Amino acid sequence: MKIVKKYGKVIGMSAAALAMTAALTIESSMAYFTTYVSAGGSEVIHLGTQTKIHEEVENMVKHIRIENTSDNDCFVRVKVMWGTTFLDVKVTDADGSGNWYDGGDGYWYYKPVLRARELTSVLDAKIELPENFDKDSFDVIVFHECIPAVYDDNGNPDWKLSLNAVGEGVD
Amino acid sequence: MGRKRTSKRASRNHYVTYVLFVLAGIMLLGSAVGSTRAALTYRSDNYMREISVSQIGVTLLENGKVVSSRDYDKDEWKISTNRGGAYTSGALFQNLLKKDESLVLNKKYDENLAVRNSGTIDEYVRVRIYKYWMQGGKKITTLSPDLIDLNLVNGDTWISNPDNTRECTELYHKGILASGAETKTFTDTVRISGKVAAEAQILQEGNVVKTVYKYDGAEFHVDVEVDAVQTHNAQDAIKSAWGVDASALGIL
Repeated sequence: MKIVKKYGKVIGMSAAALAMTAALTIESSMAYFTTYVSAGGSEVIHLGTQTKIHEEVENMVKHIRIENTSDNDCFVRVKVMWGTTFLDVKVTDADGSGNWYDGGDGYWYYKPVLRARELTSVLDAKIELPENFDKDSFDVIVFHECIPAVYDDNGNPDWKLSLNAVGEGVD
Repeated sequence: MGRKRTSKRASRNHYVTYVLFVLAGIMLLGSAVGSTRAALTYRSDNYMREISVSQIGVTLLENGKVVSSRDYDKDEWKISTNRGGAYTSGALFQNLLKKDESLVLNKKYDENLAVRNSGTIDEYVRVRIYKYWMQGGKKITTLSPDLIDLNLVNGDTWISNPDNTRECTELYHKGILASGAETKTFTDTVRISGKVAAEAQILQEGNVVKTVYKYDGAEFHVDVEVDAVQTHNAQDAIKSAWGVDASALGIL
């Protein structure tokens, strides 16, 4: 206590001088040259796709076209079903372009990607009735399905990848 | 006698105090003299000349175009971005899609990101990339940032931080980036995985079966930050600015 009383002022002033000197030293050591920039970007993912069927019946042939009514590219497939055993329906790619092909699983697949607001080429469903047909009516039902188009590494739309993406894919 | 001794001791104490005070003053002046001398070296009697010193700057480039830059010039920070105006942060993906084009899944879009040293001194550079999903103004934590495939390239030049996470990738440019020079690109493409469409719900409305995708309308986000630091006393400067050991990372 005596020492503190005796040299109190000296210690105080020395400490103050030291602190001031230290403060100057700290400032210089922190003054590194730095700079920075930043940027950000985002895009919305549109997954919803919707299609509409266009049908014309002529001479017992259904001319089927599917329209992509959404804003996103999609793939479509069609299944033609009928409920009676006495008639038969033959499905064919109308213009022979090969756009429509039989998937072997009951569906006819449209090979090209169907762009937003575009229509497929025509798929024909020819209804064949027996010669002695005497019923008033019968049903031939067309199911159409669409999935969002998924692209491969080369930027090409890919049916298999698209099916994989919605959990219905094949290896 | 006693009073005389007390008076002598008091004057000795004052003497010590004055000496220390003068010494402290000299030390303070000494530190000031250093900078005064430095300032004087830039001037001569015959002519005045502007000398560019220690003007650090950095620019982020996307597909060869300036997105954002921040350069120290003439005693002030000059900030410019491709958004213009008072924005301090640039905009990525402005030209990702053409007009009326929608983003398609799995497709690779060009996204060449690089850094230019737009200052007058050499520097070390680091980038940080954040990837995340938003929907309805909220961050989606159930959708993996891995589905935002920002393809990293030139791994020999850009050293990955071993502690990188799915959301944040830190890349350190190996070696000094000279004034005016550009780095190799650290990304080349961006692709959104088709797995985004995996989660869906089937709804029946009359004779229409509708698939409602959980992440329809979700936004993917990519934020990029670029940091630059002086090369002088680099080890300490990098430690102080970025909190990492530059030698251990192998970037010096």
